[in-house]
Amino acid sequence: MFGLPGLTALVLFGFPIFWLLYTLVFFLKTRNWVDDSENEGGKS
Amino acid sequence: MNAVVLIFLIFYYVVVVAIGFWAVKKGGAKDLEGYLLGGRQVGPLVTAMTLQSTSMSGYMFLGGGSAGFTTGYWSIFYASGDIGGGVVNLSVIGRRMRKLSKILGSLTSIEYLEHRYPHAAVRLISGVLSVFLLFFYVLAQFIAGGKGMALVTGLPYGAALAIAVGIIMLYTFMGGYFAVAYTDFFQSLVMVLGMVWIFTATLIEVGGFTAVNESIAKIDPTYLSIWGKDLANQYAWSDLLGAILIFSVGYMGWPHVVTRHMAMKSPKTARMAGVYSTIWNLFFVTAPYLLGIFAIVALPNLADPEMAIFTLAGELLPAAVTGIVMAAIMAAIMSTADSILLQVGTIASRDIFQRFFYPKATDNHMVWVSRILVAVIGIVGLLVALFQPPGIFSVVIFTTSVLGSAFMPAYVCAVWWKKANTPGAIASIVGGALTAFLFTKLNVPMNSMLGGLIVSWTLMIVVSLATQKSSPVADHIIKAMNEVVKVGPIPKEMLAKSDFNLAQEANGINKKIDKD
Repeated sequence: MFGLPGLTALVLFGFPIFWLLYTLVFFLKTRNWVDDSENEGGKS
Repeated sequence: MNAVVLIFLIFYYVVVVAIGFWAVKKGGAKDLEGYLLGGRQVGPLVTAMTLQSTSMSGYMFLGGGSAGFTTGYWSIFYASGDIGGGVVNLSVIGRRMRKLSKILGSLTSIEYLEHRYPHAAVRLISGVLSVFLLFFYVLAQFIAGGKGMALVTGLPYGAALAIAVGIIMLYTFMGGYFAVAYTDFFQSLVMVLGMVWIFTATLIEVGGFTAVNESIAKIDPTYLSIWGKDLANQYAWSDLLGAILIFSVGYMGWPHVVTRHMAMKSPKTARMAGVYSTIWNLFFVTAPYLLGIFAIVALPNLADPEMAIFTLAGELLPAAVTGIVMAAIMAAIMSTADSILLQVGTIASRDIFQRFFYPKATDNHMVWVSRILVAVIGIVGLLVALFQPPGIFSVVIFTTSVLGSAFMPAYVCAVWWKKANTPGAIASIVGGALTAFLFTKLNVPMNSMLGGLIVSWTLMIVVSLATQKSSPVADHIIKAMNEVVKVGPIPKEMLAKSDFNLAQEANGINKKIDKD
């Protein structure tokens, strides 16, 4: 692909895709964080 | 060309200084928390951008290009980890560190370590080690600034270096985290704009991505191998792992970077900041290494690999656009240098001078200790950069390896492992730093970052477990860690008072800055 050896292309494009997926999973798994500290120092 | 580029650079400096003054007035250091952490009022976009622009230094434009030019596609491993560095940092420790630092009342990342692992030695060792290592890191920024300024102005390297260091120092004296964060935000935009521009222009110049790779194959096909030129790194697994780890997890051990977590507006800020970090990294991080690789074709007679991106900008772009790219390079240098110098000044004045030598230090003392140290660093850095300038790539890799090895387990375990105690933290910090340092100096055939991390993690776990009875983790820390796990507001009774009872000192610092 693009004149590159297969392993080089895999590393070059694979890691960005991996980090995109990591970020997406992080974003979806932390939906409850919106409840965090809206009133910091509030009652327990 | 130089006149047009200079005009752009001057315009850029004026804008940065104007934003800095605006931020100082807007963010106004009403108390110490305001001065050191921007009053913990920094939102997700600015958090992400200050995190990234601080992490990405002049190294990216000089060291990154040099690595690509000399080793070929092997250098992509550094970018491969780096793309995820921001989101890893924010997802692993961001929210929890923000919360724990608030509960413990910590205002600096070194003070935070002492609060979590209560012992004076933690602060002393961490403070001295940080100042020592950050000096070398800022030295690399000085050299990068000097080289860039020499190219733009045509001045000899020595004179250009003096001007570059002078600008960085003056700019840093403006002071305060809020100013640093907002100028970083602007600079991050300039950095990504400049990088995308030079990348696109170079790609067009070399005939496209496939064409440039085919041209490189004619020069030396091993440049295209992921194992690097001449297959020099074939099956060098420890170097490969080290290259990926250094900028993916290593940032979690950088005191001047993790401070960004403590300054977030709220713990939830980490969520969107993680997303913004990844988006920014996708546009910025891989490009310098690829530009270095493209330069193999575009600049076959390049004498200094570190000048690859500077030279590409100078030769391929119209003068006005070169000005933007040069501003981007100076933005990368300055956004890192100001954060480091602020951090070093803070550590020296608060974490070392006031904590160990002069607890009754007044606001005036604190300001002067901070400024004297920054000035000393400037002068010594200038002399070293002038007479014995080391390679930027090697300095940055050395510094970041030692910092990451020393502090990463301490910062991660601080929020994730309740059994992590003071002896474990001290052993981990000292052992990790020494290992990474000795592995580099003795040329041990194992990547220094990897070796350092193995030792620091092992020591943290083994020593903490072995000393649970003699050095149990204090109850108030266990309670704080239990609270950190929860999602929701921190109960009022858990918030420390120490944030606020030092307001007089901060007001003094602010007044002093305004007066000067």
